[in-house]
Amino acid sequence: MGVELELQLIDPTGLDLTNTAPDLLHLLERKPFPGDVKPEMTESMIEISTDVQTDYDGLLAQLRDIRDVLVTAGDKLNVRIAGGGTHAFQHWSEQAIVNKPRYQQLSDLYGYLAKQFTVFGQHVHIGCESANSALFLLHSLNRYLPHFIALSASSPYFQGEDTLFDSARLNSVFAFPLSGRAPFVLDWEVFENGYFRKMEATGVVSSMKDFYWDIRPKPEFGTIELRVCDTPLTVERAAALACYLQSLCSYLLTNADPAPNEDDYLVYNFNRFQACRFGLDGMVVDPRNNRSLSLREDILQTLDKVQLHAGRLGCRAALDDIRRILAEGNHASFLRRRFADCRNVKGVVDAAVHAFRGDAS
Amino acid sequence: MLQPIWGDIAIPFTLLLAWLLGELGRRTLGISRITSYGFVGIIIAIILRVSQSFFQVDDLWSLTLLAQIAFGLLLFELGYRVNLGWPRRNPWLALSAVTEAVATFVAVFFVTRFFEFDIVSSLLLAALITATSPLTILPVVNELRSSGQVTERTLHLSAINCVLAIVAFNAIVGYRVLENTGTLFNAVWNSFIVLLVSAGLGMLFGVALPRLLRIAHADEKQSTVAFALGITALTLVTHSLHFSPILATLTFGLTARHHRDVRHQAQPNFGSLGDMLIIVLFVHIGSRLQPEAFVPGLLLAVALLATRYAAKSLVMLMFARVSGLSIRKALLTGVALLPTASFGILLLELAAQQGLDFSGAFAVMGGLLLVVDILSPMILRYTLIAAGETGKGV
Repeated sequence: MGVELELQLIDPTGLDLTNTAPDLLHLLERKPFPGDVKPEMTESMIEISTDVQTDYDGLLAQLRDIRDVLVTAGDKLNVRIAGGGTHAFQHWSEQAIVNKPRYQQLSDLYGYLAKQFTVFGQHVHIGCESANSALFLLHSLNRYLPHFIALSASSPYFQGEDTLFDSARLNSVFAFPLSGRAPFVLDWEVFENGYFRKMEATGVVSSMKDFYWDIRPKPEFGTIELRVCDTPLTVERAAALACYLQSLCSYLLTNADPAPNEDDYLVYNFNRFQACRFGLDGMVVDPRNNRSLSLREDILQTLDKVQLHAGRLGCRAALDDIRRILAEGNHASFLRRRFADCRNVKGVVDAAVHAFRGDAS
Repeated sequence: MLQPIWGDIAIPFTLLLAWLLGELGRRTLGISRITSYGFVGIIIAIILRVSQSFFQVDDLWSLTLLAQIAFGLLLFELGYRVNLGWPRRNPWLALSAVTEAVATFVAVFFVTRFFEFDIVSSLLLAALITATSPLTILPVVNELRSSGQVTERTLHLSAINCVLAIVAFNAIVGYRVLENTGTLFNAVWNSFIVLLVSAGLGMLFGVALPRLLRIAHADEKQSTVAFALGITALTLVTHSLHFSPILATLTFGLTARHHRDVRHQAQPNFGSLGDMLIIVLFVHIGSRLQPEAFVPGLLLAVALLATRYAAKSLVMLMFARVSGLSIRKALLTGVALLPTASFGILLLELAAQQGLDFSGAFAVMGGLLLVVDILSPMILRYTLIAAGETGKGV
């Protein structure tokens, strides 16, 4: 598995986003970085990624190293780093698009959507033995997607207001025409030579990168990439979510769940909405038996199912963290509690900054 | 008979004209608003000089107190933006700030001595010209919503420059008082005690006001009002008692930042109040032009500007890599540190109110240096754009 995190760059005075990615990247270039770091769509974002990791301890250690290097570099430049799926009060019109050809192209194509895409997500890659097993996992995971949305949700505030969503970030993603879900195909030959070639021929896409699906195959890495998570406020939470996904994939590959089929997608959008809007309190529908259950309940049942796999993968501690989220609430709840204390969205950003650094807040 | 009426009418209408020219200049020619305000002030300066030939002009034009309050608002905001933790976490930044101030001081001292100024005058000019005036920097930074290393370092270095300049200036004032009165007590009072009490008052306000805002559960608008009232009170008190409103308000900002609660912050630039007072401030600064000294002082002013720019830029380059800055941004920071005269002039005005004669220094600061200061917002704007640090896609 591998983790990518999109992070916010914050001005410590006004707590707004600050367009300092070029300065930070310039400084980070000077020494070896414990992972990879690169610019993102706008200059107030950076993206970090880990190496290929196989267990929770290794992943967590690398994420903590990355965090420490970033925080130290940020301190040297009077910049703060924060997680969270959105910045609580930034206005999209004030963002500057990074001066690289791909981003300028996207900005020309998508207009204001490109600047509104100043949202911050966690992407988790899971390595697959074959292209067909990648497609199998991609579609088997569809019914568990709301878990990851609800557990990672950390974007209740947007442009200064409480959106009443736990994850408002995904509303920005859904606006893009190539967002959503992959077509229901389980054979890679059919997918590549059928669907993908047809899309390529239309001129609408030129590579897999152009799809903003919730889960997409990444052939160059040999992985599937889960893209629905908000960036959590802490690297510890990011590691826990990645390992939950890893354990779940291990479980799914044993064919313990019924095989995926197209009808699973009947309730896909509804379940996804419930998770974004209500977080862990959302109600999801199982399309196999039309039964409704709360996400909390669904996650608890799933944790029991994957416990053995987590043990084999060295991820038990990660599942303990997931159980803690179910008991204490996700980061969206944390941010709302912080707002209730201080009655000001700047306090929310301040809390996110301290949480990322590992300060007690 | 006409003079009082003229005084009451001229000032507000002139400010209104300045506002209009500022807007027109911005929209049609892309000139910074404060540059336009400054040029209106320069025209006032010329008119006043010409008028003096025909009839006595006393207090026809006096925006000094309002300008000091406006100055106080800017200094407070500068202090509030300074993160004292940054030099602690990046000691090379702190070292670069002190080094560039010392280098500039020494270089300017020798240039003025070359132009045959006496030692005390040379020291005074060196202290004044070391400072980087925040008056033109802050409004441009706020207008462009700029952020990045050139922006942050320019603001922090300006604050450090100003503090060092005030300390040096007050030491020289103390020496001048000793020369004039021969009394050590007066000399110590006018230097050390003034600094201590001014900073102390600033700190007191900086601790007290955030607490008051917490008690009142003030939102951003009301916090802005409260801070503005606090700055006005502090400026008037220190002004009346012949302490340093400049140091007091800067310290107020620094202390308030340290004790801040993110719920109770003032609006950037103090919103519309700040916009109005900036007109007052820059018309006033422009009106301090000394037209008679402009041509005779041209060569000296060019030499001082070049020396200052060279000293600051060289130090920026020296410390660039170790302090985490690129060479390109180090050079741009050197340009951004250009403005100086407006700060010096306001310092000199305060000293003049205490009966100290620094007309020689006024003549130097009121020539080309002042004109460059008024043009510096446009230079800074292009510098920040070149640095890629402007928001709103500018």
